[in-house]
Amino acid sequence: MLKLKGVKQCLYPKTIEEAAALLKENGEDTRIVGGGLHLTAFPNPALKALIFLNNLKLNYVKETDNKISIGATTTISELATSDKMKDYLNGNVKKLLQSIASELLRNQITIGGSIAQRESYSDIATLLLVLNAQVVLNDGEKEIAVPISDFYKSDFRAALKKSVIKEVVLEKFDPSYKSDMERFTRNATDIPLLNFAVLLQAKEGIIKNASVIVGARPGPAERFTEAEEFLNGKIFSNGLAEKFNKFVEENVDVAGDIRIGKEYRAHIAGIFAKRILKRFMEE
Amino acid sequence: MKVHYKINGEDKEFEIQPGEVLLDVLRRNGYTEIKGNCYLGTCGACAVLIDGVAKTTCTTFAAQVNNAEIITIKGIGTITEPHPLQKAFVEKGAVQCGFCTPGTIISAYALLKNNPDPKEEDIKKAIDGNLCRCTGYVQQINAIKYASKLLKGGKR
Repeated sequence: MLKLKGVKQCLYPKTIEEAAALLKENGEDTRIVGGGLHLTAFPNPALKALIFLNNLKLNYVKETDNKISIGATTTISELATSDKMKDYLNGNVKKLLQSIASELLRNQITIGGSIAQRESYSDIATLLLVLNAQVVLNDGEKEIAVPISDFYKSDFRAALKKSVIKEVVLEKFDPSYKSDMERFTRNATDIPLLNFAVLLQAKEGIIKNASVIVGARPGPAERFTEAEEFLNGKIFSNGLAEKFNKFVEENVDVAGDIRIGKEYRAHIAGIFAKRILKRFMEE
Repeated sequence: MKVHYKINGEDKEFEIQPGEVLLDVLRRNGYTEIKGNCYLGTCGACAVLIDGVAKTTCTTFAAQVNNAEIITIKGIGTITEPHPLQKAFVEKGAVQCGFCTPGTIISAYALLKNNPDPKEEDIKKAIDGNLCRCTGYVQQINAIKYASKLLKGGKR
């Protein structure tokens, strides 16, 4: 079964600048291949050329004093098993990464591909949004770092016709920060029907700098600012977890689709909110 | 265009179309031990080791892995000299219709290479992308545990 009948050439740039130049030269009908999963599962017959980043050595997880840089072609498995993720935010990010899709697919899905694709059900998008990651883009002439929330607010699909994702950069949070994410799936390897992530700072039991992201709503992941405002300044308690549950269920911006209804999604979001806060109290 | 692979230890060169997936190229060239089914990466029947990592060939472009080392189920053992995993799958009744077996053994092989003493949870996670149409997962898990013992006992 020939998936992409229209593809006539495969390009293997040697530098990221060359990759960006090829992207611009070849225009609309060219795609950069990350893991290849989306392009092979949902083939676009209009495509004429594929750009492979094999020679660019973008498989890495590097640590500096206060940042962790993840190369665009790093797979979820490579990131999850990196020693840099072992204790990152109490190991919760590693645990989450290991729960996405199946082992075979985690070995193939790349961080860059996940960012570029921004599937509405993406767990990676929700995760990177809650961590306020920076996306580093190279357009062949310059490199820019953009917060992923701004990247997604912009016309990022147009930007990716001229620029290549080089890496994503995570902040290293001090131990007063906690983060966790919940995902609801019909079975262990299925796409999520809802995901819910929280990052916050807890100093002397008081919550600060809360970030709450809801994905697979079924629309793409979005910031839930009302929930952030609800949490900021509050003191951790079981009572707060119950109130947060109710608040989220009543205010979360979700909809129904063929898989589950709006009320069910909202109900699960509330439960996830409570569960995450309770776990933070136990940490 | 031409691609080069090392498949089960042998250097090979194939003519491919740029938009083809690895599954089709390998099967066309005689590697029919790799089973094709979903073409979406969801069933795992077409899994092989690509540079030591288990991946589905139906979602991997043939051109993407040019110059890679590929190992199929036939590359880990033969009928006369089976790998402990192959032996364990037969002895523990983990093969029913057999369609998922090559992919499942490849996933198990990758697991045991990195984790020779896996817990049941580790095994379940390692083969979670390999769907068994006969639902014989209990036997598969038992076979992988048994293979781990055989390997520790020095049986390859």
